Amino acid sequence: MRKSLLIAAANLRRAKGQTIAIIALILLASAMLNLGLMLTHDYKRNFDRCHDRLHDGHVTLAIDGRGEELLDFLTRTLEEDGDVTEFSCEDALSMVGSFAYNGGEVNTEFVILEKETALSRPVGRMEIVEEGAGKSGIYLPMLYGADGKISVGDTMDISIGNHVMQYQVCGFLNSAMAGSHNCSMSALLLTADKYEELEESGYAPASTLVSVRIRDKEQSEDFEAALKNKVSAAYPTSRLLSNSYELVSTSRYISQMICSSVVNAMAFFVALIAMVVISSNVINYIQENMKNLGAMKAIGYKSGQIVAGLLVQFLGVAVATAAAGIGLSYCLFPSVNRMMIAQTGIPYEMRFQPLLCVMTFAACGGFVALAVWLSSRRIRKIEPIVALRQGVLTHSFKRNHVELEGTRAPLQLALALKTCLSGMKQNVTVGITMLMLSLVVVFSVLMVENVIVDMTPFINLIVGETAEACINVNPGAEAALLQAAEEEVCVEKIYLYSSTEVCHVGGSALIATMAEDFSQVNNQDVCYQGRFPQYDNEVAIGAKYAKEQGLKIGDEIALTVEGKEVDYLICGLTQISNNLGKDCLLTREGFERMGAFNDMSYYINLVPGADNKAFRERMEERLGSDLNMTVDIASVIEGSAGIYVSLMAAIVVGILVLGVSVIAFVLYLLVRLSIGSRKRDYGILKALGFTTGQLVLQTAASFLPAVLLSTAVGIAVSAVIINPVVALFLGGIGIVKCTFTVPLGWTILSGAGLVLTAFGLACLLSLRIRKIAPVVLLAGE
Amino acid sequence: MKKILLETEGLSKSFSTGGTLQHVLKNIDLKLYEGDFTVIMGASGAGKSTLLYALSGMDTPTLGIIRFGEEMISDYSSDRLAVFRRDSCGFVFQQIYLIDGMSVMDNVLAAGLLVNRDKKALVQRARELFQAVDIPERDWKKFPAQLSGGEAQRVGIVRALINSPRILFADEPTGALNSKTGLDVLDTLSRFNEQGQSVVMVTHDMRSARRGNRILYLKDGSILGECDLGRYVSGDRARHERLSSFLEEMGW
Repeated sequence: MRKSLLIAAANLRRAKGQTIAIIALILLASAMLNLGLMLTHDYKRNFDRCHDRLHDGHVTLAIDGRGEELLDFLTRTLEEDGDVTEFSCEDALSMVGSFAYNGGEVNTEFVILEKETALSRPVGRMEIVEEGAGKSGIYLPMLYGADGKISVGDTMDISIGNHVMQYQVCGFLNSAMAGSHNCSMSALLLTADKYEELEESGYAPASTLVSVRIRDKEQSEDFEAALKNKVSAAYPTSRLLSNSYELVSTSRYISQMICSSVVNAMAFFVALIAMVVISSNVINYIQENMKNLGAMKAIGYKSGQIVAGLLVQFLGVAVATAAAGIGLSYCLFPSVNRMMIAQTGIPYEMRFQPLLCVMTFAACGGFVALAVWLSSRRIRKIEPIVALRQGVLTHSFKRNHVELEGTRAPLQLALALKTCLSGMKQNVTVGITMLMLSLVVVFSVLMVENVIVDMTPFINLIVGETAEACINVNPGAEAALLQAAEEEVCVEKIYLYSSTEVCHVGGSALIATMAEDFSQVNNQDVCYQGRFPQYDNEVAIGAKYAKEQGLKIGDEIALTVEGKEVDYLICGLTQISNNLGKDCLLTREGFERMGAFNDMSYYINLVPGADNKAFRERMEERLGSDLNMTVDIASVIEGSAGIYVSLMAAIVVGILVLGVSVIAFVLYLLVRLSIGSRKRDYGILKALGFTTGQLVLQTAASFLPAVLLSTAVGIAVSAVIINPVVALFLGGIGIVKCTFTVPLGWTILSGAGLVLTAFGLACLLSLRIRKIAPVVLLAGE
Repeated sequence: MKKILLETEGLSKSFSTGGTLQHVLKNIDLKLYEGDFTVIMGASGAGKSTLLYALSGMDTPTLGIIRFGEEMISDYSSDRLAVFRRDSCGFVFQQIYLIDGMSVMDNVLAAGLLVNRDKKALVQRARELFQAVDIPERDWKKFPAQLSGGEAQRVGIVRALINSPRILFADEPTGALNSKTGLDVLDTLSRFNEQGQSVVMVTHDMRSARRGNRILYLKDGSILGECDLGRYVSGDRARHERLSSFLEEMGW
């Protein structure tokens, strides 16, 4: 062991530059890996910790209506259910509402509770995380205060149905199951006076909020569906809002899912590149030190001891660097956390994770040990006497690539090509690096084009259907709405697009979206396989759900509303992430086979330049109490999707910086190795009259074929696979097929940028050649 | 009247080793003439190679000037010196220094194409030079490692002459060769000198030194003396004795 340590120490002293570059790569890989592990394993568990601390329910249900009878029914139903362990029922007010947020607006189902009631619920308790001096006003989910856009003490307008209420923000609350607009319902707390005032106004219907804890939280979706079935059978006209542990724990962590997928993928890429670089380094070390290795063997070192020396050397570096990388990940984590709290809305307290650190150490050590072991096997074959005589050639001159006599290439290019073709290991390292980075570049271009510059494709993918405005009317007011819309010159198109909950018999609760005619909807990509339903016995279901249930096009499923079961034929597969893939599409007639259709939401396309607000105000005036709600969809999207844009922008910047750093480190190592191994050649060429500039260009150009080829292949392949890769990242929220446009021009330009960056860096790094003086070489012999 | 090819005035070179300044060349005034076969001799550490590197633009002097025709090459930057070397000088090294990864022909053409863009003419000249130094065509595509030491050094001479340099510098060209192949190399150099090629050669071998018409003896960084032997004639005993007595006088 001592001998191995001596070898390791000697090697490290000899190759400080290479060691520093390898350290940088391992540092990046371990930091990304630990960050990815923290995000993947612990960040989401934070939801469980929050859920447990607040003793929240696994299913939450808000039912329009109050009273002894309803309470008795609920108590009896829940007490009789063997799966229920605890539950709590409180008075609440629930209604669709909205308020301005993040440049747009939040539009969701609000469940409004009196503050003290909410804080003292036996199940589903809420907590105040920030509070000002105000004694009369509103408490919002902390998500809205995370980025400082709404602060304690601000006065804000909240639309409750069609009525605007003004409240002072008294503070922010934390709720596991209703603390975000991603939970199907969002909790708002009012001080006693304001609650009473709203209750008396009658703007928001009185309701009962039920939080239920069950034995197996993994069954929460099934329990939710069953409970809703029972309630809607008993109270068919009551409006129900519900969510489940499974839905909320996933939907509140979409940013975590995207971020951890990207970070893990990047960690894997960087680790792979580090592995290739270490292998190349070890192979080069063997070639450069053939005589020394022969001498060591001659004086009695065993092959195993020499390999162990290399292992100790690289593992020592890897373990020490991984420790620093873990430290770095803890430094980076608060920034990532801040970014994600704006979406999750749950505070996360960073804490030391020993198990994850061990996993990071193990992964880094494993990668490095594998790379060293695979590349150092050649040492066993070295015979000391042969090595001492330099009998094992450091180069294999089987072919004289690019004969100068025959080639038409200019001298510099021809010499660069010679170097390139005789260094296949260098080309493989460059190739793998550039292939990985091409994927990163294409991903970045794709995100910039489809998320940051123009959000529409992202919205179409995530939200599904969008239009300019949405108007919800009472069932009897449809004709009046359509008449009024027809008379409006600014209305381009109006179509029914309304959602409600149905149950799949033997499966889960699904959000069913109805339209009279699906050919009218704007986003025809929602149904990505098969077709939209056209007849009343057809249904299109979420692809993710279909996969989970083993369903395919042509199968029949039974859906039920209000206790009536109807069979439908699956005609298409959809991808809508609103309900994490648990969705279905039905024609209106199809839905009405199960029961009456009461929720009349119409989507409206306005002519370009039309005043959305003025249009909605005119409609409100004209339809009066028949109109339940109007929504500026664009504004809602802007408000809620803004966080994803910021997140994606941060991810793109992060991975591009990482990408450029990786190219820099890899090229630094390769150029250094190349200059080191060709120092004699550079000395000779300088003596013959080659200038430093010519040699720098020659060296940088020797990387170009591999850079060009791998970038071209990488860009082309990435352009083809990037949509499936993104779909893989978003699979958790129900996205199966991603159809983002890959902007060809920008992609090619980015590829060119990548090549130029690599070439520029190679030139810069090759400037070390200027230190090689021919006289030093000659005197040194 | 011989034409001056290269001239130095007050040429000095010092190195700092272990904090001590070592004066390797001391105030050397020297003129090298066109068509001469100048041999620089001296004991080990006398500064022979350092003088050769300074004269050839491989290294810059600490003090003094080096003039090549009208050009003051001692003031040149490293890149201008590189251009000077490629345009005006040829080099033959003791360790030969062919590039291992290139064939024999490519080693020569890599130097030639730096100066001459007419590849056809260049290849023709390379062929003539190969024939002149007795390197058969079958060897042109071989790698240096596949040649004997003598063959490799003759390839080195071809590379040095490919650009028809004004001056050929040779640093112990036979130092790494056995006597037979060393003799071949010296014959080759003599033959080119007879054809008008100016040669400056560093050696500590008297047999090699006999090839020169002008012998400079360097001691402790200064030129201690010089001897004009006249044109080389094989088997000229009087010439040999003149050189022997000169070297004896110099303390050889």
